[in-house]
Amino acid sequence: MRLSDSVAVLHPRSPWEAMDFGMALARRHAGLLMLAWAIPAWPLLALLSLLLWESPGLALLIFWWLKPLGERLPLFILSRTLFGETPRLGESLRALPGLLRAEWLASLTQRRFNPTRSFDLPVLLLEGLAGKELWQRRAVLAACRGKRGAGWLTLVGLHLELALWLGLLAFLYLLLPAQAGVEFDWQQLLEDTPPDRLWLEHLTNGLYALVLMIWEPLYVAGGFGLYLNRRVHLEAWDLEAAFQRLRRRLGSATGILLLATGLVLAQLPGPAMAEPPASQASQTLGRQAARADIRAMLGQPPFSRREETTRWRFGDPAQVSDIESLPAVPADFVQRLAQALEVLLWLAVGSGAMLLAWRYRAWLAAFAGRRTPAARRAPPRPPGHSAPRPAASPTLPADIATQAERLWAEDPGQALALLYHGLLERLREDYQLPLSEADTEGEILRRVRRLERPELQHLAETLIRHWQNFAYGRHLPPAAVKDELLSAWRARFGSGSPA
Amino acid sequence: MSASLAKPSAGTARQPLLDTCHLVETPEGIDLVLHPAGLVPRALAFAVDLAVRGAILLLSFLVLGQFGELGLGLASLLFFLVTWWYMVLFEVLNQGRSPGKQLLGLQVVHDDGTPVGWAASLTRNLLRVVDLLPFGYTLGILSCLAHPLFKRLGDLAAGTLVVYGERPQPHPSLPEIDAQPVPFALQADERRALLAFAERRARLSVGRRQELAGILAGPLQVPEEQAEARLLGIARELMGPP
Repeated sequence: MRLSDSVAVLHPRSPWEAMDFGMALARRHAGLLMLAWAIPAWPLLALLSLLLWESPGLALLIFWWLKPLGERLPLFILSRTLFGETPRLGESLRALPGLLRAEWLASLTQRRFNPTRSFDLPVLLLEGLAGKELWQRRAVLAACRGKRGAGWLTLVGLHLELALWLGLLAFLYLLLPAQAGVEFDWQQLLEDTPPDRLWLEHLTNGLYALVLMIWEPLYVAGGFGLYLNRRVHLEAWDLEAAFQRLRRRLGSATGILLLATGLVLAQLPGPAMAEPPASQASQTLGRQAARADIRAMLGQPPFSRREETTRWRFGDPAQVSDIESLPAVPADFVQRLAQALEVLLWLAVGSGAMLLAWRYRAWLAAFAGRRTPAARRAPPRPPGHSAPRPAASPTLPADIATQAERLWAEDPGQALALLYHGLLERLREDYQLPLSEADTEGEILRRVRRLERPELQHLAETLIRHWQNFAYGRHLPPAAVKDELLSAWRARFGSGSPA
Repeated sequence: MSASLAKPSAGTARQPLLDTCHLVETPEGIDLVLHPAGLVPRALAFAVDLAVRGAILLLSFLVLGQFGELGLGLASLLFFLVTWWYMVLFEVLNQGRSPGKQLLGLQVVHDDGTPVGWAASLTRNLLRVVDLLPFGYTLGILSCLAHPLFKRLGDLAAGTLVVYGERPQPHPSLPEIDAQPVPFALQADERRALLAFAERRARLSVGRRQELAGILAGPLQVPEEQAEARLLGIARELMGPP
């Protein structure tokens, strides 16, 4: 074992980091380690399962109990790997019988439940001690909380195995298609396994072995990392490696030269070494010189970066002179033409803008104007939707019917308007109809119908029909209507004005 | 796998030296050394956090249970908060450390060593749901074991890293001894080794100290018994005036 051959950087670490270090080492050779664990272990489990087919639980218990023996081969491989002598799979398996022999009984009995098993195993296996010496050596390594972390590693490992095992089981269960019709009756599983379900239990045992294949090498590696770290702490392996490297370097030819100069230097009288370096007066720099120096230095890499770019561009001076040599149009004319064109273009732009503004004037008025446009304040009423109001007179005449009769001769429309107005007034006052400015004739009629007074309804219908005919179509009511309407009005409302 | 088994020693020789550090180069060209944390301390930190959360929920349910339906509503809100925001709030507001991580000396940082932010912390904690699959963090455990920087899937997605936080280092004390000139040119790692020898002197046994110093007795041209004192003198010189 030569420390300088180590494939890893050895230096004192915290216990957690030491575990991580061991696991990182195991990850480098994960395939080899897992195979080396699985090749002896899986046939063993298969054999146990065959022998104890009726009681899978017992087979698993025996397998689990033998676990410490399975940790020896991965440890052997790890210890070799650390110094760059990774054994082949065949070599490792050949070494197995020898590894198993050491203290196997103690490992399986008194130390089976030792939580720091992973830390103790390297002492036993790698240092080759036995009996009292082994016990003392362990005490030295474990002193001053030397095996701190090993117990935690075992505790975490315990839960990890369980979690991974259950995870695999859950995964398997998820893979079962719904049509398979396998229904697990958990209670039945707990109570007693029927003979046709034994394969399931053995499969479960196999899954546990699969989990162990992943975790056991890592567990061993974690313990190995702790052990290694403890020895690095106690014996300064990293310093030993560094010192050996230094000696080898100094031992080579250049090293001897360096050594010689070093010795010469060491024998020089002290003041000579302490003498200040050559006076720098000759190097005094003027401000100008310094600036020039700085500029020169900034002009060099890495302060400056020069870059050549080739690209297309307009107006090569040589070509300009070519154009000028052509039989020329008078420069003055060209100037004017250009100005005229410019004016034309600006005109085009301006008229375009005005055209746009005109095209969207409504939009501008609605959304960009500061004041509400007049059109919005009084939008034209859509015909037929709401009533054109009869010419509103602030005060209705006292006798509407007589007034209307008088008006009818010269202007039947005015008479109709008066009657309609009076009707609305009456409806509002005598019948308490909630009429509003926005009501259309149709709405007024509907309200009247709801009053369920046939005569009133008939009057309103007739009046409104003729009023509409006049208002929208300029159809004058036939003369015969006059008497009917007026008599109906008088019968309904009397001749008096509203009180 | 069989190919790597066929010629293992040739393959391992070319690999870089194994170490638990992760170097991150800053834009200024400085190498930041991060120490990614492995599965065991992380699992323990998670267990502590789980216990803390369980305690919080149990207590609050006992107290809020007294207030009937209002209490149950508040408890449900609290349950949501503790389940989904416990880790995120602690990680972002407490320099990447939930109580469990703080106890174990762990810290969550971005891949480049900067403090973890809201987005990354939310991502890595929401993806716990994936890491949990199919039962008890199976995917998370496998991912953590397989990744060189011990990342679980949430860490991979969020670009975060769980590292060991900086611990205060004890001030190194050198033995009171006269400085001696360095007899040969030393490279940086050799200087460090000499200084470390002087600093860790107290923790090494006397025999081991002499053995270590004896390695350099030849180049130093001193008898093996005096090599240790000589090395300590050189270390004092390297250290500079006290």
